[in-house]
Amino acid sequence: MIIPITISTDSSSAKLPSGLARISHDEIVLVELQGALDVGDCHPTERNGKLVGKLSIDDAMKKPTLLIGHHLLEGKVAAIPKPLAIMHRTNAAAKNIGDDMEVDDEPQLDGSIGGTRGGNDGQSAPEWTILGLVKKKIIFSKRPMPVIKRS
Amino acid sequence: MPDFDLHFSPFSTDEAASYKLIELPSELVGLLENAIQSSDPLGLVIKGDPTEDAVLCTRDKTYSIRTVNLSNTLLVVTPPPDTEFNFAEDAVVIRDQLNEILELAPAVPRISKLVGRLRGREYDETNEEDDEDEEVDSDGSSRYTYTQAREEIQASDAELDVCLKQKRILIIKDELRPISPSYLNNILELTLNVLVSESLSHSAASLDRLTSALAGDHGISRVVSAQVLAWFGEIQAGGKWKMNEDEVIKELGLGILREHKNDDPIEKGAFVAKWKLAVGDTFADRVSLNLLAGNYLEGRPVGRIEHEYLTYFPSSTLPTDPAARFADLFLTRTKWRVEDITPFLSDIAVNNKERDKLLLKYCRAISESGAVWYTARAQYNG
Repeated sequence: MIIPITISTDSSSAKLPSGLARISHDEIVLVELQGALDVGDCHPTERNGKLVGKLSIDDAMKKPTLLIGHHLLEGKVAAIPKPLAIMHRTNAAAKNIGDDMEVDDEPQLDGSIGGTRGGNDGQSAPEWTILGLVKKKIIFSKRPMPVIKRS
Repeated sequence: MPDFDLHFSPFSTDEAASYKLIELPSELVGLLENAIQSSDPLGLVIKGDPTEDAVLCTRDKTYSIRTVNLSNTLLVVTPPPDTEFNFAEDAVVIRDQLNEILELAPAVPRISKLVGRLRGREYDETNEEDDEDEEVDSDGSSRYTYTQAREEIQASDAELDVCLKQKRILIIKDELRPISPSYLNNILELTLNVLVSESLSHSAASLDRLTSALAGDHGISRVVSAQVLAWFGEIQAGGKWKMNEDEVIKELGLGILREHKNDDPIEKGAFVAKWKLAVGDTFADRVSLNLLAGNYLEGRPVGRIEHEYLTYFPSSTLPTDPAARFADLFLTRTKWRVEDITPFLSDIAVNNKERDKLLLKYCRAISESGAVWYTARAQYNG
């Protein structure tokens, strides 16, 4: 089977705030965390749209910080040794299949199965788009510091 | 210091795993940057069946894809997507959390499958009639087309075309048919004859006159002869065909050599004489065994010690998997000189460096009376 990869040429999509856009790419920034974000939610959908914390960066792009609750992370902007292409799945087709099957209880699930199966019925094949190249990332590698109150 | 609210995406559950990061080799970085600037679609594809390791193909190269796990998490952060969600002005959202990146490495196109698919589909003189008017031949179900090959074979388009040329596979009405070696030899000999009899120059022969003569006097379909001529030369402006002499000479040599498998080696001198006869006076002095590198073994069989004998041993029939290929090579001979073994490795290694890596991995080098020999490093039969 063939999965075509297109290259995004859509320059009209939303841009990052200027402080973040200057890091590497004007639409995407990569943030590396040591470990992972551990969210204590009962259902994965609960986190949708919720605030994680405050990300900030100084004008010289030397000292990015991430404040999550009472924990402050300090990081740095680092070059990525080999540039990374960011690829995004846009399987609109698969979503449509889900929508078409109105009787189905779990259109989402069905859509994603269609997406991975792909293959001969071109309708459900996933489409991947390269959104851009990223050469730098924000990396938070230190331990979080407890913060009592932020000035 | 400006700060930005960092949120989870409003559809974080749907979007999970919808982003992938690909680590780019330097040649691809340039290619992609240009493509983004000039809105070139680039034609990147990922190819592979569910049972195969996927590869990424550009227009002319193939890369193997490997997943590398990270102990850290990479957050893909973008501006918020258009939704009814009310984010603050400078909010950004986490679209995906990744623990792996994809690593690309240049790879040899995986074409062994093509050979398997085309087994028993050879085209020879018995097929001369059926390509003219029949849309589907008698066993239409087993047709294997160029379109199918482009979808299934893990190689870039350019590499696939090169492979079709190297493996001498005809495209007849989109169907792939390997040409039978004896038929190909026949066509080449006839071509040389026509060049002489029509007194055409081998560096600028009229393609039209050649194909007409081959079709008229010898019943070779124009579809076939035009493709064969394109394999063995260049078609230049004005419909002129410039013969690639070495390729033609090589193929005629292979034709003779092919008769001499394991049990029937041919004496070197006799072979060269026969070969010169086949290529004719014009090209007799171009004949050289180097042209056939990777297709024969040279040796002195027991009992016929006074002369060197050649045996047909084409690298194209050896396994493409390195371990299996070395096992095969060392079954044939227990030790090899470096210049003897390298022709049999050129089609499984992308470059000399890769080839030397393979030699290091699978062979043991020993020095014996000033020469370096390679022997098997271990048993690979299990």
